[in-house]
Amino acid sequence: MGSTPTASTMSFFMRKLLFVLTVTAALMAVSTPAPAQGSSVSFSYAGQVASVPRFASRIEVLPVLRLLGAEAGFSPAAGTYVIQLDDHQIQIAPGSRFVLTDGQLEKAEEAPVSSPGGLAASAAFIERVVLSPLGFHLERLGMGYRIVAGARVAPVVDVRPAVADFGATTTLVLTLGRPVKATVAEEGGGVKIDFADARPQIDRSLPMRSRRVLGLRPEGQRLTIVLARGMGLLSSHELTSPDRIIVEVGRRRVPPTPAPMVAAARPSRPTIVIDPGHGGSDTGAVGGNGLQEKDVTLAVARRLAAVLQADGYLVRLTRNGDETRALTDRTALANRLQAVAFISLHANASSFKSAKGAETYYMSLHDATDEHAAETARKENAAGAPRHGGSALDLILWDMAQARVLNQSSRLALDVQRRLDTLLNLPDRGVKQAPFVVLTGATMPAALVEVGFLSNPAEARQLENPAYQQHLAEALARGIEGFLRSES
Amino acid sequence: MSRWVLVIGLVLVGLAVVLFWALRPGGPRARTPAGVAGELPTPTPAAPQRVMLLFPAADGALHPELRDVPLPEEIHERVRTVVTQLLEGPRRGLHPVAPYPARLLDVFVDGRGNAFVDLSGPPVPLQGSFEELALAYGIVDSVLLNCQELKGVQLLFDGREVPTLTGHLDLSKPLRLNKSLIAAR
Repeated sequence: MGSTPTASTMSFFMRKLLFVLTVTAALMAVSTPAPAQGSSVSFSYAGQVASVPRFASRIEVLPVLRLLGAEAGFSPAAGTYVIQLDDHQIQIAPGSRFVLTDGQLEKAEEAPVSSPGGLAASAAFIERVVLSPLGFHLERLGMGYRIVAGARVAPVVDVRPAVADFGATTTLVLTLGRPVKATVAEEGGGVKIDFADARPQIDRSLPMRSRRVLGLRPEGQRLTIVLARGMGLLSSHELTSPDRIIVEVGRRRVPPTPAPMVAAARPSRPTIVIDPGHGGSDTGAVGGNGLQEKDVTLAVARRLAAVLQADGYLVRLTRNGDETRALTDRTALANRLQAVAFISLHANASSFKSAKGAETYYMSLHDATDEHAAETARKENAAGAPRHGGSALDLILWDMAQARVLNQSSRLALDVQRRLDTLLNLPDRGVKQAPFVVLTGATMPAALVEVGFLSNPAEARQLENPAYQQHLAEALARGIEGFLRSES
Repeated sequence: MSRWVLVIGLVLVGLAVVLFWALRPGGPRARTPAGVAGELPTPTPAAPQRVMLLFPAADGALHPELRDVPLPEEIHERVRTVVTQLLEGPRRGLHPVAPYPARLLDVFVDGRGNAFVDLSGPPVPLQGSFEELALAYGIVDSVLLNCQELKGVQLLFDGREVPTLTGHLDLSKPLRLNKSLIAAR
């Protein structure tokens, strides 16, 4: 048959192919990574060894926690695992990089995943996110890991302190060598700053002289600010470029009962603090005509100050030029001066070109109440033995005083808004509540006024007009004075 | 003979390919078997329910728009659903809560009744308190009205806490329900 040589060639070729394929298949089977499931890695702790299953490239987390004696449960409602050991609590959601560690929300570099054992993550995640906050770290041991007590030694962060005493308060500025997360809290007779993953190293080249701040004591990842007797933490906030922690200390909080409003130390003429919003590098909103919010607010604030001064009031502006001012410094000035009213002036903008009119805001009670302080009070009450006498009562009185100040703020806002609406014939956008940063912490009636919309071409032209600015200033002054008269 | 060799060869190639595919890292055997653990957080199949979404209008108030959407029982999935619906934008004459095409990146609910909603940040800085309030409280109030077991919502942008967006609103902590911004009927 003519086909015989071809068949023979085919048969030879196929046998070769079969051989090659068999060898290839065998090699592929051998070279394929071992099945992820079923393999395990050993973890040892305090003489006990656990064989922890792997899940693909990750490791089951819950058996590692059981080895430490930690409790871990899944909350189906919240979709998170809650891990508890001693005083520490960590909440982790499968598929999410967010982790809540002892009340602090952090974003991990990777997300753990759902697994047959519940939750699986890389060894790095287990160490950094789970074990480190619980006070442990991992060391390699053969093909597995040993869990060792003590978090890894954190890298150093340089801290350069500067302190300044004012009348009743002291401001401590800690400039950090690099961005570091930190939490500030009052403890015992001082203030503690806990740095996340950093050990503070104090630069003592600058002299520190203060009546209220006696010294700084670094210890591990904590920096303790030693305070003079009777002093406490008033406020703290963070700033960037460069990274700074600002701590304000003074006499322990006492409730701002009506006494400060009529305090003997107050000047005979009441002081009103006017805050021209934004300033310096912060232009605020910009209108289509190029008009900048910071310029409008300063122009109206100067005119308002002149009207109020002519009516016998002492007036202070939080800025009297094109300067950058921290939001918290603006309220702090009003607090220091024991002002009877604080008005922050702004101009609005919206993608609605038709939006126009003025609106006035004041703080809402639950936003003004210091939740951290309330939490401390609850803990102390639960413990039955306050660490420092009467603090829980102080906090209750503080809350009551806050409620009273907010009531006054609502009346101030209403008086100002009514005057603006009626004197300027503006559409009434009403009085609203919102937690504006610049109103937080004000111990006197305080309101934020948006005098109009720079995004509305007609209103922007008016806001640029000196005569209209004068009308605005007079309407604002009538509102403030009307409120103060009703309070006296 | 040669036909059998060919058949066996093809079968072996097929087996090798299937074996390689099945056992590669991240392959089906490396993934979670369906229903392997009853405690795994798989969203409950949800029946459509009416949700109230709040969108801003030129009067500065948030106006409700009602929508029937499947609403899962799990709180974090419900938050995700509400925010996703909100970011899709209004279906009638209102404005979007975000003046830029914001995307929902993540949702996290803690054990204290606070939801953390992570959005993509604005490509250019926002202006004025109006836009900051509309974005923040459009989301916060919509979530809290539809997830009443929550007490606060904190907005994060690109995974980070921000103190404020336009220098007005304090966004460094969870915001509560703010009825003063919702339009009166």
